[in-house]
Amino acid sequence: MRVWLGVSLLIFGILALAVPGFLLWASAPFWRFAGVAALWQSEWFPHEQRFGLLPAILGSFLAAATALMIAVPGGIAAALVSTEMLPRPLRRFVRTVLEVFAAIPSVVYGLLGIWLLLPALAGWFGLLTGHSLLAAGLILSLMVLPTITALSEAALGAIPNEQRETALALGLDWPQLLCRVLLPQAWPGIRSSILLALGRTLGETMAVMLVVGSLDRLPQPWWNLLQPAQTLTSRIGREIGEAAWGSLHFSALMGCATLLGVGGAMIAVFIRTRRNLP
Amino acid sequence: MIKLFFLAIFWIGIVLPVAGNESIRIVGSSTLLPLVSEAAKLYRQSHPDLEILLSGGGSGVGIAAVLQGSADLGMTSRQPTAEEQAQLETKAKLLPIAYDGVAVAVSEAVINHGVKALSLPQIAAIYRGQIRNWKQLGGPDARILVIDKEAGRGTRHVFANAVLGNPHARAPGAVIVTGSNNEEQAIIARSDQAIGMLSHAWLTDRVRGLAILVNGVAITPAAENIRNGRYPIRRKLNLIVPIDHSPVVGDFIAFLLSGPGQALVEQVGYIPIR
Repeated sequence: MRVWLGVSLLIFGILALAVPGFLLWASAPFWRFAGVAALWQSEWFPHEQRFGLLPAILGSFLAAATALMIAVPGGIAAALVSTEMLPRPLRRFVRTVLEVFAAIPSVVYGLLGIWLLLPALAGWFGLLTGHSLLAAGLILSLMVLPTITALSEAALGAIPNEQRETALALGLDWPQLLCRVLLPQAWPGIRSSILLALGRTLGETMAVMLVVGSLDRLPQPWWNLLQPAQTLTSRIGREIGEAAWGSLHFSALMGCATLLGVGGAMIAVFIRTRRNLP
Repeated sequence: MIKLFFLAIFWIGIVLPVAGNESIRIVGSSTLLPLVSEAAKLYRQSHPDLEILLSGGGSGVGIAAVLQGSADLGMTSRQPTAEEQAQLETKAKLLPIAYDGVAVAVSEAVINHGVKALSLPQIAAIYRGQIRNWKQLGGPDARILVIDKEAGRGTRHVFANAVLGNPHARAPGAVIVTGSNNEEQAIIARSDQAIGMLSHAWLTDRVRGLAILVNGVAITPAAENIRNGRYPIRRKLNLIVPIDHSPVVGDFIAFLLSGPGQALVEQVGYIPIR
């Protein structure tokens, strides 16, 4: 048993070092060639040795932000309804449904997006095809909603009933119970769920690639969610097969991956270090 | 005991794929995929023990896979770049198995509205963003949905070379970028105002090929015109054959070039090379 634990710890340790190490090593030629300036340049033409990352960075950010703005309030609200209001059998049903949703492969979400969401968006907003950051954000929000709801539900469910009873006995009304007792108690769990969701929104490739349009151009104006755009992941997904191993293009794509890793880690640390509700 | 058990499973996992039936891994252009897939189906009827594993990904992927040795046979619908050629030189040869015309594919509604033929400069103007509405070309009053393809795709190289003068030319007029023929075909079929580049085998009732005006004569992307070279956006579809390939691979290639193989080429919608 000890041996097994030791071996798995060793493997995990090697992986934890090897993945970031590989990304840094593989992207080093790109950073040497383009420098940090690539972060705010906006032209991406690998064949002409131009590697501006800004459109994809902005695309990843906007898609993730859209997804979380919908999924975080929606997910927490769903968890509250499920734990605080629904009777026990229904609660179990909700949890099963959530688990099923969380297990659906991302390509299925992407195809659903193509069949249902894109035509709808094209119709509502008068777009050419519906491929847009909004489509990516909406699909992503659907994909992370189960994660947020399930984890928040667990966090809320772990609060002892005595606390609710005490709060009600003290004369707190429902909004006070919610804001003073339930949410602060459950916040660490909810925070974890948001972090997991953030990781998935930043890292999701397949579903995003199918609906985002993959157009490497800055949206006009920059916050326009209704235009086709590119995210860091969709670019990697589209181009990695074409990029020869060891070429500058390949290295630039690894640079995109490094950015995703560093960006995700930074946001995670930032949220972790805040103790209480913002 | 437990350790031994895991070790045994580990070794079975490693050895099994090697010890199984003979197999050919074929990777590359999604333009060649339907042809080779049909050929593989037919070929396996007479060689039931042979495993043929097919996957797409684009011409660049095919070339890279042969270079890395992760494929026994590559498919490419474009000529290798100078860089790729230098690497391929000592490792593999190109073998043309069919001709294909790259159609300027438009939505059915555009054709029905009267835009049936365009000249190469007109198409170039669309992709450069100088013409943005079908009305400017005698079509419906609708914005042109200009579809570009991923930079490494063979179809894109051939199209951009013929229309824009350079396989890597920028297309600032493009509104969206797609990957496989399948993906692009679906978008054109669903739209009323799209233009894109598709291998002519992918044309359907809803996705129609424009004729190209050459010296005032409209030339359709029909098989005859592609074969005799009058249709200007044409290419050879190549297999990338590693020099040290196995006899099994050699037999499959011979089949593709044989009578029945070339008949399949025609059946799938391309033009036989022999």
